[in-house]
Amino acid sequence: MKIIDRIKNWKSLNFLFKSLVFLVILFLLDFGIGNFLKYWYFKQYSGYLYRTTYAIDSTQAGIVIFGSSTANHQYIPDIFEKRLHISCYNTGRDGNSIFFHYAILEGILKRYVPKIVILTFDEEDFRKVQQSYDRITSLLPYYDSHPEFRPIIQLKSPFEKYKLLSKIYPYNSLIFAIGAGNAEFNQHREYINDDNGYVPLRETWKGKLGYDTSSSKYELDYNTIKYFKAFTKACFDSKIKLYIFYSPKYIRYKYEDQSIRIAKNIAKHNDIPFYEFTNNPYFLERRDLYADPGHLNEPGAKIYTQMVIDKIIQNEEQSRPTSDSILPLNKYLSIRK
Amino acid sequence: MLFNSIIYFIFLACSLIIYYVLTVKYRNYFLILASAFFYMYVKIEYIFIIIFIILSNYLIGIKIERAQTKNKRKQFLYLSLFINLGILIFFKYWNFLIENLLGLFRLFHTNNSIPLIEIALPLGLSYYIFQTIGYIYDIYRGSQKSEKNIFRFSLFTLFFPKLLVGPIERAGRLLPQLAKNIYFDKENIIEGGRRIAWGLFKKLVVADRISIYQTVVINNLHEQSGITILFASLIYTFQVYADFSGYTDIAIGTARLFGFNLMENFKRPFTAKNLSDFWRRWHISLSSWVNDYIYNPISYTRRDWGNWGIYYALLISFVVIGIWHGATWNFVLFGLLQALALIYEVATRKGRRKISKKIPSLIYNNLSVLLTYLYMSFSLIIFRTDTFSQAFDILDGIFSRPGKLFFDKPSSLLFMLIGCGIMLIYDIQQEYKIFRISLFTNKSWLVQQLSYAFLLIYILLAGVFDGGQFIYFAF
Repeated sequence: MKIIDRIKNWKSLNFLFKSLVFLVILFLLDFGIGNFLKYWYFKQYSGYLYRTTYAIDSTQAGIVIFGSSTANHQYIPDIFEKRLHISCYNTGRDGNSIFFHYAILEGILKRYVPKIVILTFDEEDFRKVQQSYDRITSLLPYYDSHPEFRPIIQLKSPFEKYKLLSKIYPYNSLIFAIGAGNAEFNQHREYINDDNGYVPLRETWKGKLGYDTSSSKYELDYNTIKYFKAFTKACFDSKIKLYIFYSPKYIRYKYEDQSIRIAKNIAKHNDIPFYEFTNNPYFLERRDLYADPGHLNEPGAKIYTQMVIDKIIQNEEQSRPTSDSILPLNKYLSIRK
Repeated sequence: MLFNSIIYFIFLACSLIIYYVLTVKYRNYFLILASAFFYMYVKIEYIFIIIFIILSNYLIGIKIERAQTKNKRKQFLYLSLFINLGILIFFKYWNFLIENLLGLFRLFHTNNSIPLIEIALPLGLSYYIFQTIGYIYDIYRGSQKSEKNIFRFSLFTLFFPKLLVGPIERAGRLLPQLAKNIYFDKENIIEGGRRIAWGLFKKLVVADRISIYQTVVINNLHEQSGITILFASLIYTFQVYADFSGYTDIAIGTARLFGFNLMENFKRPFTAKNLSDFWRRWHISLSSWVNDYIYNPISYTRRDWGNWGIYYALLISFVVIGIWHGATWNFVLFGLLQALALIYEVATRKGRRKISKKIPSLIYNNLSVLLTYLYMSFSLIIFRTDTFSQAFDILDGIFSRPGKLFFDKPSSLLFMLIGCGIMLIYDIQQEYKIFRISLFTNKSWLVQQLSYAFLLIYILLAGVFDGGQFIYFAF
């Protein structure tokens, strides 16, 4: 105590001492709370954060679905499993871009190689928007445990690795979601209750059919195109059958979106099946199948998933002899309706 | 360079180190360079506008002081107003004036074409133009001596902490500070740092969090229920307060780090009991500027009109405050709404005093605070929209659409409410000293340190650092 008192009497040293104490307190709080959040984050057993961790670290599914909300709420793994007799997991997460999808694929490929990968693609996915980078935030909790994500996380900002010196920062704004993911009640909540990653939307859209007459002119983000190509290459290198789907919308498009055009060209060049369901007459007439103009509701997702499976089967039949097929064709053919 | 960006804090840290490493006599020169760099970081060209304003007003200020006759002084005052307001009108109000003029011509079936200009408003223009006009007017009326040192006058205009969002400083406050030698003082560093921490809390935890919700509600207005639109409108007042006062706190804190005291811009406005009280607490540097340079001169010249002179001065003053915020009729209406409420308050002052004596003060005061807040929230519906029809859509939505309150996840609501709660409790404690124990001003330095450390930790936990946080409405 005498030493502390002596320091207190010396003004400049006192200031330095107090500043140091403040920094130590700050460091200890950040370290302690950050590590607790890390423990709590990876201990979750429900919710959207848990689903991402499960997709990266645990799933062994034969079919893996990638994409944003259009993947997460529209592809029902249960139907895939029943018809194709292969396990399926939906890794889709709302609001994310190809950076996220590619990172998840990398995480999965470190452990095993799925047989089929489905990637959903949307209009304007190659548009240059800051949001695509901001939402790389979803990967921050995995920065330490998954070094393969680091180049993608660095895209977010040149300062990201310095921000990550804070142990709390990766869990910014997640405290309540993590708490909920650890809570028993969360498993029974409608929105959270998932089927192998798929989260159904229950609402029914009551609005009018939308019309998109924009000429689709916008600045392209070449990073997203680069990672889209990297995604297709990773699948090709690992001998994964990749399918790309552009799902239905309750919008009639007058012009083809430039992102879709580019993605189609890349797919064609690499012999990847690309299926487009926009302006699909069936879905344009069925407002009752939508939760909102961009997303199908649960009944819509059920019908759409069947159509997706039909396309996959059709493709398998056309492209491979039955004996070489990735899918157990004899099984699914027998149950196919 | 946004005050809440990493780039700004790197710039600030570097500037601070160089500032205190330099010998005292070079520090202000360095601040001029740093401020010019700060301003040019967004767009280099705009530095020429500010240089022109500095040079012309520097010379006019000296000319006014040296002018022998009142007439001559007046001529220089008008010249300064012509230059300053001319630049402001050209950049900020030209298109608004032309569009309205053309609309007027169309009423009389005459077709005229006057070109509109596609030019971005130079950042902070309204702030530094008003500050400069105040300086010139003070010299004109003899309450301020002109600044002879061009470098000091340049720093007065350019000083980067207050350049973009104020406070609109007064020459009598800032110029004497710029004339002093500033030495390193740990109190400045501590207080400046604390103020910046609070500013970051308000901006990142409260304002930007509410902004995510606002964006979803306003972008999908026609699908929202009345209760959702009402809730969004009520918390918008908190958003504006947290955003603007947060920025101001960072500005004041930054200036303090360099050893300067900028004027306060907000003084717990949510504790105001009436609108006059509110405007004494809200954007003080602007309202006091308008009070000194518009309201007082008008009410003085119209003193023979009695109360009508006050009403007239209020009307003009608040229309100026309204249009200062931007070139739309909604801002004019916003100003008019404020003026009308203040006229009502002046006209009913005696009656209200009588009523207040009949009602227990606790009820009367709280009701007054609530009504003031509600009126301000209502006015801000006009303020936030570009057209009257958009404002009407919001009002119509509040009263005509049944439904539940929208929030995507309980956590979105919790983050907003906790942030607003902490901010309100802090303000109420500052105003009324309800709690005996104060964490941030505790006598024990360790408790203070811990409190600020927890504040920073909470910013890390709950702040919005980028577009990583979002709300999906469509589901």
